[in-house]
Parts: sequence; C-alpha cells; structure tokens
Amino acid sequence: MSKERISLRMKRVTKAFPGTLAVDGVDFDVRQGEVHALLGENGAGKSTLMKMLAGSFADYTGEIQINGESVSLHTPSEAIENGIGMIYQELSLARPITIAENVLVGRLPKKNFLMLDKKKMREETLKILESVGLELDPFTFVEDISPHEAQLVEIAKVMSHNPSILVMDEPTSSLSRQEVEKLFHIIDDLKAKGLAIVYISHHLPEIFRVADRFTVMRDGKKIATGDISDVTASDIVNMMVGKSMTEFYKKRASEVESKKALVVEHITREGFFHDLSFHAYKGEILGIVGLAGAGRSEMARSMVGIDPMDSGRIEINGKVLKLGSYSRAIKAGMVYLSEDRKNDGLFLRLSVKENVLAAKVTDFCNCGIYSKRHEGKTVRSMIEKLYIQPPNPNVGVGNLSGGNQQKVLLGKWLACTPDIIILDEPSRGVDVGAKSIIHDVIIELADMGKTVILLTSDLPEMVGLADRVMVLKEGHMIGSMEKAQLTEESILLAANGEGI
Amino acid sequence: MHKKNISFFQLLDKNRALAMLIIAVLFFWIHPGARNFMTVYNMTTILKGASLSGICAVGFTLIFIIGQIDLSIGSVLMLSGMLTIGLQPALGWTLSAIVGVLSGIAVGLVNGLLVSKVKINSFIVTLGTMIIVRGLMHLYCDGGAKSVDDFAIADWLEMQVLGVFTPMTLITIGIVALFAFILMLTRYGRGFFMVGGNAETAWLAGLKRDQYIIVGFIICDGLAAVGGAVFAMSLASSTANAILGTKTLMQVIAAIIIGGTLMTGGKGSIIKSFIAVLFLVTVNNGFGCFGFGFEVQIFVNGLILALVVLYEAYTLYKRELLRGQRPYLLEELERSNS
Amino acid sequence: MNELNNANALNPGESQRFHKQERNAFLRLYEIFGIYFVAVILLFVGVFVNTNFFTADNFLNVLRNIALLGIASCGMAFVVYIGKWCDLSLPSYMALSGTVAIACLPFGFVPALICGVLAGMAIGAMNGLVVGWLNANPILWTLAVVYFMEGFMRFTWSNNQIYPDQVLESRGLDTTAADHFLAIFQTDILSIPLIVVVMILMFVLCHLVLTRTRFGLFAKYVGSSLEAAKSSGVNVKLIVLYSFLATAFCGSIAGIFITSLNKLGVFYLGQGYDFKSVTAVVIGGMMQSGGRGSMIGVFGGVLVIGLLSNIMNFIGINTFQQDIITGSIFILVVGFHQYQLRSQGKDYA
Repeated sequence: MSKERISLRMKRVTKAFPGTLAVDGVDFDVRQGEVHALLGENGAGKSTLMKMLAGSFADYTGEIQINGESVSLHTPSEAIENGIGMIYQELSLARPITIAENVLVGRLPKKNFLMLDKKKMREETLKILESVGLELDPFTFVEDISPHEAQLVEIAKVMSHNPSILVMDEPTSSLSRQEVEKLFHIIDDLKAKGLAIVYISHHLPEIFRVADRFTVMRDGKKIATGDISDVTASDIVNMMVGKSMTEFYKKRASEVESKKALVVEHITREGFFHDLSFHAYKGEILGIVGLAGAGRSEMARSMVGIDPMDSGRIEINGKVLKLGSYSRAIKAGMVYLSEDRKNDGLFLRLSVKENVLAAKVTDFCNCGIYSKRHEGKTVRSMIEKLYIQPPNPNVGVGNLSGGNQQKVLLGKWLACTPDIIILDEPSRGVDVGAKSIIHDVIIELADMGKTVILLTSDLPEMVGLADRVMVLKEGHMIGSMEKAQLTEESILLAANGEGI
Repeated sequence: MHKKNISFFQLLDKNRALAMLIIAVLFFWIHPGARNFMTVYNMTTILKGASLSGICAVGFTLIFIIGQIDLSIGSVLMLSGMLTIGLQPALGWTLSAIVGVLSGIAVGLVNGLLVSKVKINSFIVTLGTMIIVRGLMHLYCDGGAKSVDDFAIADWLEMQVLGVFTPMTLITIGIVALFAFILMLTRYGRGFFMVGGNAETAWLAGLKRDQYIIVGFIICDGLAAVGGAVFAMSLASSTANAILGTKTLMQVIAAIIIGGTLMTGGKGSIIKSFIAVLFLVTVNNGFGCFGFGFEVQIFVNGLILALVVLYEAYTLYKRELLRGQRPYLLEELERSNS
Repeated sequence: MNELNNANALNPGESQRFHKQERNAFLRLYEIFGIYFVAVILLFVGVFVNTNFFTADNFLNVLRNIALLGIASCGMAFVVYIGKWCDLSLPSYMALSGTVAIACLPFGFVPALICGVLAGMAIGAMNGLVVGWLNANPILWTLAVVYFMEGFMRFTWSNNQIYPDQVLESRGLDTTAADHFLAIFQTDILSIPLIVVVMILMFVLCHLVLTRTRFGLFAKYVGSSLEAAKSSGVNVKLIVLYSFLATAFCGSIAGIFITSLNKLGVFYLGQGYDFKSVTAVVIGGMMQSGGRGSMIGVFGGVLVIGLLSNIMNFIGINTFQQDIITGSIFILVVGFHQYQLRSQGKDYA
C-alpha cells in the first residue's frame, strides 16, 4: 500500500478559534484512488479540518501538501485552483437562481467579450448533470427541484471543477436509499479514476460500504488512522467516544411505572408522517429511532403544536390535549427540546437567565404582570443542576460553548417541570462532559417518574438510555423493540426497516 | 431531458406585471368612460410619466436583487435635479447634468461603504443619508425653487418622435435595456443574483460581496440622479417640495414588488419592474381619464400594492408550511384514498 | 473520568470570555444609558452656546417641541422591538385618529377622542393581523397601507380639511366640544404643558409594559429570535398583533395632539413622523434586529434630537442644515453602536 501516491498530506495543522483549539496539530493524509472516512463526534473538529482544506480560513498553522507540493489554501479560489472540491452538508446552492448558473458560478461561458453564451451554458450544464445521472432542464430554478435533486446538483457542481481531492460532508443526509446506492456507484467510479475522496458520515454502515481507510478525530486531535477492514463498528465507536460505553450511563434507580402518561393515537400530518400511534409510561425513557428523513422531529413538532397536525388525538395523563397550541401543551406538561439549538432553540443574543426563563414567563405572571421574585432561584438552581459554565446568569448565551448552550436549552425546559419531555438530539455537538451531565439528567427525570421521549441518532446513547424503542421509517411506525433487544446493530437495522 | 411542467397559473404569476398592464390598457381602452385614454397624446403622457420612476426602478431592482434597500433615492434625485438646474447658467447643460449625476454616485458610494464595510443595515444607512441629502438639497436651493430660461432642452426632451415616443422616453428605455442586458446576459451582472441569492456560495466562488454591494449602491443612486436630472431638464425647473422624492420612492418600491422582485434578494427583473411602473402610471392615468381625482389613484395604487404583498406573503406562508413534505408519502396517501 | 473533570472545569477560552463579559458590565450600562452621554455633551455645548439655554423655560420648550415625536416614537418602538423593522403607516394612524376625532365631535368631546383612538387602532389591528398571521414584510405592507389610507381619507373628506367648529356648527350644535378639542394642545398642568405630561406618562407606561408584563417579556423573545420564541411556547402571532396595536395606540394619541395643534383634521397630518420616529428609536439604541434596547434609551434618542434642534436654533442654523447634522449624528451613533456590538461578539444578527 505504501507505494501508492499520497494526494493530500496535512502536517501538524492547527486552527484556533477564540477560546478553543478546534483542530490541534493534526496529521492527515489521503492516497490517490481511495475513499478515506473521517470520523468523530459532532464538534470533534472534522468540519473545521475540512473547511481549512476548502480555504475558508485565512489563518491556520501547519503545512498542507497536494501531490507532494506545499500549497497555501487561504481563500476558496485557491482551494479550487489546487483541485479541492467540497460538498457541504448544508446545500450551498442559491435557491432563486437557475441550476446552470449555480453549477457554473464564477466561470459562466462568454461570447463576444461580454455576453453570456446561453447555448454553451446549457450544453456544459447538461454534460455536468449527466455525470451524476440527473436529467433536468439547466434553466430550472433550484427552488423548484426536490431536495435530493438539489443534493445531486451540488455534487455535480463540485465535480465539474475536476477536483483531484473531493471532500463529502454527510452527502447522503437528504437522499433516499436508492439514491444513496446511486451515489456510491458514482463514488466508485471516481475512485477508479484516481480521485482522493474524504468521506464524512455518521452512518457507520455507509462507511464500511465505501471507505478504504479511516481517521478518527476527537476534541480537535487525531485519535487513530487505519484500514477499515481491520476494525469493527464498535471499535470505531469506542475510538470516537473515547471510553467504553458502560461508563457513561448511570443505573436507573427505579422501574418504569405501569401508568400511561402519554397516549398518541393516529396522528397524521399529510406528507410528513402518517397514522402514528404509541404510548409511553410514567418513568419511561421511550426512544424513537429513524434515519434522517424518517419524520421524527416533524412528529414531535406537530405533537406539541409548533407545526400543524391534520388529524389524531393525544392524551396526557388521561386528559385529551387540544392540539395546535404550544403554550397549551406546555401547560399540560409536555415540552419539546428542539433539534437545532442555534436556529429555533436558543435566543443567542440574550443571557443565560433570559433563556432559562423563556418558557417560564407565563408561570411567573399574575394577571399579565411579571414578578421577578422567583426568577433568581429558578435560574440558580438550573445553573447548579446542569453545571452551566461560567455560572453567571448574565452571560450572553452566544458566547458559551456548544455544550453549555445545550445545557441552557435543557434548563429552559427543566424549569417548567414537565411531565413529558421530548428531547430531540439532546447531545448533538456537545463535549463529553456536557453529554454525561445531560445523560444523568435524563435518567434522573425518569427516576422521578417523568416520561422522556428520546429522539437521537447517537446509537450508544439510545442503547444506554432507552427502555423501549419505537421505529419510524419514512413517516410510518414500523415496529418497536424492548430494552433487551437493543444493540447498536439492531437499532440500525431496524431503522433501515430490517430485522423487526 | 424533461422540462419541469409549468402550469398556466405559474406562468401568469411570473409575468403578472405584463398581464396587469395588458388588462389595464384593455380595460381603459374599451371602457366608454375613458374616451381620451387611447390617444397618441395620452400614450405619450403615460410614457413620459413613467420615465422618472422607470429610471429609478432600474437601480432599485438591482438593490433588491442584492438583498438591500435604498431609501435615499428620493432625496438623491431631487438633489441631482436641483444641481442640474442650478448650475446650468454657469456650466451649461452637459456639465451641470454631469455634476448632478456625480452627486448621486457620491451618495451611492457612501451608502455602499457604510453598508459593506461598517456593516450597518442598509435600511438605517439610507434612512440617514436620505435625511442628509435632503438637507443638502435644501441648503443648496435655500428651500425654494430654481428654474432656467433656456427651454431648448425641455422642448427637445418632449418632442414627439417615432409616434408616441419622445427623447425622454427613449432615454428611459435605453437605460432599462442597457441594464437589463448587463444584468441578464453578462457574467458580472449574473453575479448580483448570486450575491443576493446565497452570499456564502458567491464567496466560495470568489465573487466579492462588498464590491457588488458598493457597485450596486453606486448604480442605484447614480441612476436616481440621472432620472432626477432628466426630469428637471424636462421641466427646466426644480422645486424643493419633498413630495416628489417620497412619491417616486413609494411608486418605485410598489412597482418592483409587483414586478416580482424579491426583497430578500436573488430574484428580480429590471424589465418586469419597468413594466410594472408603466402599469401603475397607466392605472393612474386611466382613472384620471375617468375624471377621478388623485385620491382614487393613490387609493388604487395602495390597494394593488397591498394585494400583491398579501399574495406574496400567502404563497410564501403556504410554501413554508409544506417545506420538508415528502412526495412519496403524499403519493401513498393518494393511492390509499383511490 | 479525567476528561469529565476537564470538561467541567472552566477551560481557558471560556474564562477569557467570562472576564470579557464582566468587564462589559459597564458596557451594559452604556447599552441602556449610552445615548444620555450624548445628551449630557449636548447640555454642555448648549451652555456655551447661549445663556438662555440652561433655563427652566428653555427645557420646557425643548420638551414641548419633542413631545409629539416622543409619543410617536414610543409607539414605533414596539414594532422595532419585536424585530418587525418599522411601521411606516404611523402617519396614517395619526391623521386618521385626529380626523375621526373631529368628525365625531357631535357625539361629545370624550366619545370623540375614544372614536379617534379606536379608528387608529383599527388600522393597527389590520397591520398586526397581516404581519403576524401571514408573516408579510412589514415595510412593504405598511407602505401599502400608507398609500390606500391616504387615498381613503382624501376620498372620504373629498380632499378637504375639516374644522372642529364647522363640524359642530353645520349640525347646529354647541361648539364647546370644539373648544375643548382645540384646547388640548394649549392646556397646562401645573404650568407644564399637557402634552409633555402625556409624553412622560406614555414613556413610563410603555417602559413598565416592556419590562414588567408578560407581553413585554414575550416581545423581547420574539424580537431576539422569532423561531426560538415560537419553539418556547410564545404565541408569536398574538405578540405581533399586540405590538402593532400598541404602536397604533401611541400613534393615535399623537394624532389627536397634532390635530389639536393644527386646529384642523386632514390626511397629511403626521407625514414625516414615520422616518423621524424610526430615527429617534434607532438612535435610542433599539436596533432594527429587534429585542435590544429599552424605552429609557428611546426617550434619550428623542431628547437628543430635541436638544440638538434647540441648540442649532440658538446658533441660528436653519431647519435644512439641521437635517444634515441630525442625519450625520444618526449614522455616527448607529455606526458606533454596531461597532460596539461586534467587538462584544454580540452581533449575531
């Protein structure tokens, strides 16, 4: 293997953000004609490392070599010139603009010095789209095509620069299974052509399907590199997490009670999820698994009333919940910790105190007049309970680390003392310490007889915490699993619709 | 290769300015109450009336496409008109008009720098420059009016050539065509759409956002100044009454929204904006022919703008509601229903 | 376990940020009272400019001159605070409430005032419904409202001005109600003009509403992040509606005063107050991104504009030149504020 040519070599690269070392002296190399999986938990520094490669940072230290030559990658155009192609997790297409222009941005063909050559634009775009097997009119607007078509257009766009090194960051998150298979064929072709591909994904089966080698990162440092054939999924998970899983989870102090806290019957939102029924007991941690796009978050958002619901019935502690208003759901004791804390979770411009109290305002009001009497106590208790750092209620939440932000978000809902708490990716993008605190809190809640509904794609977390798991696939409930059946493999298989 | 099917309604929506213009023209033409409407003289009046807003709409569309707003055009066009008239006796028409336009370009440069480099929101920046420029204009004319005795250029601008056209109209159409060409068919022009549509992508593709914003403001305020200068020339006078500025600003914004340009950036068409200006002027003129006063014109203008804003908001609201919907689930639902 | 402890301890970066926050405690004060520094500077300038500046009479004069703008800005602040940019239909509230109040004088003085305020608030309710429920762009929508309200008012009163006494005389009624109406602007309470008293009361009331009520707190959340507020159980639509109603209420009160001042009701009263009040609100530290600033700051903004104009009057600068200076100070203050937010790392908008 060693005689193979190295396409990309990063030597002791470091990138510091104010307050943290996002990437700390990492060595990383990719050979020609291989798929190299870059693994790590959220916040491990993978994305920063790759952004460095894409020329997003003007200041980094260390050396980057491409095909043996040292290069400087301080602007996106330098990266493109050096043959680096990035496919981002979030689509970087401009929605109100045509496919052709998105694909050919920055190098639209000209004729007569000045004018655009529309014919050539069409031809070139068609040729590029063909490479990913898309048949679309080049002058369709991106906002008019479906998300997976947009994803393929994005890939086509990057491919059209003829990169020698291709970085794919979660390229399958919006694709269906057949489309994923199609993408893998494209990757195989590219590999055969001698491209070096860096592949970032959380879907371990995908990694084992496409990758040749892997590198695991944790807390900005490189943990391991090796051939994928030498390791198993659990090896990789262990490397990513950094300790064996058992350490993470406290034992439950109490048993699940037999009283039903939540009964959900035939809830449907057309086009998002159809006819879901389930129930949860007091003191239970009910996991809901499903791949991206299975409709988990959509279901939760509709259940509490943030998004509308077409039909169905929800009972909380035996009382029917009138749908369609989140404040009513909160009053009935059901809250939802949203998935995307930066967008619809936290008020980034406000302080810890204001964030923690956001859902508590109504309780502190008497005839519409707000009383400050209890707010100090509530906030202090949350800061202490969740070890929010720094323990200052007046710090702006935007200045906190990801882990502490997530704790504040959790604190907002704990302050409401809910009976049923729906947690959507409660530990995404947080550090290990915060993660363990959050897990402890979840177990404590269940021990207190609360019902926790856990939506997470972090498999060890699901295995460690859930008492029972419901499986969601493409908007349908396809089965359930008891605690004894839960392993990472069984959950993954179930989420893919197998083995139930 | 399959084309996405576009329904008749979508087509109508995309060309709503044109559709509205055609309906308005037909209505006033056929209606017996507006007998003076379809005359050469009246058509000339409409085109002439659309020239100031038309020229301003060109630049303003550009500003909307890059996702900004420019409230200062009203003041800019008046300052430019005032300078053109005021300096004419000393400098002659050409030089004075150039000075007028340069004043607009200077304001545009200031706006652009403040928005892109100091990173103040364009609404606030241009609100400030609107006040300042208005003050400068008043300072220059002492709050009064200026006029010149040389009517030669005014007569020339209003002379009828080629049927209903006058040189003033032709200048407007020329500017519209030139910038529509630049925006639609040149690489630099398409960059504006990319910068407004997705700043991140534009940056990754090596387009300089700040530069586009500065150029955008220079073009916008520069064109407003051109419009103001031409308008002042055609009257051979200029008054300090702020109503001209604000009314033009409002009419231009209304026209651009009717023309389908998005305030959030990335989408828009100069030609559609111009057609929408024509539409608004036609409606006002038509109601004038009916003998209705200004109150009905302004009411109808407001109503049309309100309806378009409502319609846009409603479609966006609907789309947001359906975002993330999975087509296969809907298909399945249909199958199970049938 | 080692890792766990490390993660819990304050990491160096975080402690740095922490200290920065503490150091910025006085900057927080600046955020609230910042504009008053400018006001104090203006006071010093004023003393040097004219000996008559530092007199009670002159201050009363300043307050009387800013009172209308103050009441209008009070209203505008609500819409800015919830992050809905601005309400350009403020002049419509003013003109409509004043004119309707005059037209309703035959029903009596107090009912007329109530009718006027209600008429203004009806427009506010419409704006609130459209912006809140359909999420229409507030700038464009309120712009359209200005248009058709002007058309509507011109049409209803056939482009004419209406006079309080004529309204009553034409019906053969006693004109005391008209006298009352015209006296509104002239009334003094303990030798302080009524309008100044009303302005101060309005500011106190609005400040209490924003800081002490459920609505005020929710408004802050909505202004900070509409999506997050929605996901925290805040009924965003209702808050938007209430904010527009509050704006319309203040606008209507200002409308009654301006009508009484002009002694006639007509569609163009209040024109110009839209942008003027936005200027005052923004100088006062409520940024357009919403959820920032306070009513205290807005009052400071109004005060600065008033003092500035007063001093320039003493110097003998005419209104037009005043525009230039006011506009420049506006941009300077906003630019400085923006720079500060960014250096504090608070510029997430």
